[in-house]
Amino acid sequence: MRSLSSLFQKDCRMMTSGKFFLIAFASLVLYTLFIHFGYLNFMEDHSDIYNVYLYDPAGTYTEASPLIHSAASSEELDEALATDTGGVGIRIKDGKPNIVLYTGSEKTDRHRADYALSLLYPGSKYKPETVGGYTVEMKQRREITCELLFIEIAAVGFLGIASVLFKEKQMGVIRIHAIMPLKKSLFLCSKVFLFLLTDFIFAALMTLINVGLTEAGGILPAVLIQTGILSLIMALMGFCCTMLLKDFKQFSLAYLVIALFLATPVFLSANTTIKMDWIYYHPFYHIYMGLKNAFFGTPVTNPLYYIGSACAIILLFGAAIAAFYKETGKEG
Amino acid sequence: MIEVKNLTFSYGKDKQALRGLNFTVEDGEIFGFLGPNGSGKSTTQKILTGILKGYGGMVSLFGKDIRNVHTRDFFQKIGVLFEFPYLYANLSALDNLHYFSSFYPKEQLRDAEEVLDELEFKKDFLRKPVSSYSKGMRQRVSMARALISSPKLLFLDEPTSGLDPTGAVLFRRMIEKERQKGTTVFVTTHNMLDADLLCDRVAFIEGGNIVALDTPRNLKEQNSSRGIVVSYLYQGRREEQTVEAKSLKSGIPFPYDKLISIHSQEPTLEDIFIQYAGRRLS
Repeated sequence: MRSLSSLFQKDCRMMTSGKFFLIAFASLVLYTLFIHFGYLNFMEDHSDIYNVYLYDPAGTYTEASPLIHSAASSEELDEALATDTGGVGIRIKDGKPNIVLYTGSEKTDRHRADYALSLLYPGSKYKPETVGGYTVEMKQRREITCELLFIEIAAVGFLGIASVLFKEKQMGVIRIHAIMPLKKSLFLCSKVFLFLLTDFIFAALMTLINVGLTEAGGILPAVLIQTGILSLIMALMGFCCTMLLKDFKQFSLAYLVIALFLATPVFLSANTTIKMDWIYYHPFYHIYMGLKNAFFGTPVTNPLYYIGSACAIILLFGAAIAAFYKETGKEG
Repeated sequence: MIEVKNLTFSYGKDKQALRGLNFTVEDGEIFGFLGPNGSGKSTTQKILTGILKGYGGMVSLFGKDIRNVHTRDFFQKIGVLFEFPYLYANLSALDNLHYFSSFYPKEQLRDAEEVLDELEFKKDFLRKPVSSYSKGMRQRVSMARALISSPKLLFLDEPTSGLDPTGAVLFRRMIEKERQKGTTVFVTTHNMLDADLLCDRVAFIEGGNIVALDTPRNLKEQNSSRGIVVSYLYQGRREEQTVEAKSLKSGIPFPYDKLISIHSQEPTLEDIFIQYAGRRLS
């Protein structure tokens, strides 16, 4: 315990002198300002239920929902959609409904079409229901807080451990630890523990400030669990890369590759309409969705997810220790 | 203290660093390991200090095979000075020493300021960051780090590198002082003056093989031409002749008016190394 305490204190000093805590604090302030004065103000509100317009010249659909607005002619339907661009039109032709939209993307088209058809066939297999009781603002707060937290841990934390370790590597002091009477794994544990602690504090503050004190209480334990998983994986990956790569320049290139091939597809897949069927096999997608689900109060319950995460952490820990021994055995 | 039998090590398929080393180091001995860059000196030291694994042969320290004793107890008994002064540049000398000494039991620790004082470290710099130190000052702090835990076995890699002549003399005096306390010292160097002045025995290593191992005196005697150079004045002219030592038994074997000097032709350790290895030490 004495050795771990010494290592931990030294790592704290290294991170303080490297302005890591200051950067983390600045990130917290910046993210909070962005959420409160940027994101929430400028994001469009898509929460209104779409108006549905029906042109049924033969009067076939007599049981349609009263929420549907009838159009007397095809022109009237077109006019209604031109005015209410978010609305959905149903034109009955040969007894079959055809969906008409003014504008839309693939994702919203499907969404709106399903809703319109559910009104056309009340009591059928199409049965709309309201999922979740969040206000639009609360939904947006949770979404953006989750995304920024993921970026912070995956990117800033990863670079943070590298900046501290590269300093120690350049000073050569890592080699001295190889001949110190201490368990070599403690050198790694101390750093990982410090980054984990920092990420926990960061995640807790981000959630409390941006989701709100009352709302955050219910989701914080699940958010911290997901933060812990991501933080451990990123810190161990950062440690391995730092030990194996020559300098910070090489590390920066490696980081670009990691950012491009690991994080980008996850964000694109989860937040845009870009379809990637293989994303299900991407481990970071599951971690990201785990964090997102935690923010929306539906934490992952599948034990396979946690077993997989634990295995990844154990494997990375082993790789980090091996990389540490390789570094200490190097010439010069 | 140290027993090495048929030690081999390879960095890869075609990079055989050590090719079957055999040597022993007695308790309280200062043992020098001499060789040029890339000869296998540092590799041997890394194996002995437990940094490198995957070697062949047998290495025993403190009477135990080191494959089984790389525990906290083993590292508490050794002190290592690396070739370069590895220190935390943002911490002061005292902070560095307090940090590294925190891994050892308190009862075996020496006072940090006292050790630095013995190494003639400038007191004004005790609390200043290492980044403001000269190379010699950093080397002094590194030496203090190696000595602060009162090790029974001291590994020194190029101990006087980066020191001015006064600093080098001081370091040699410190090493001798450690030996007087009973500490065994394993010195890795290509500085033959250090080896000559400090070591009880030296081993020459070249291409991963020990090519010679003996006391510096024996090595010099065995490889001496035993020639004596006599400078003298004869009939107003300065002359010089080389004669065999045994020919001086019955006095100077040639006529002279006045002797100027008599010098034995003893080779330096470097001369002997070249004889054995066929190349210079540095």
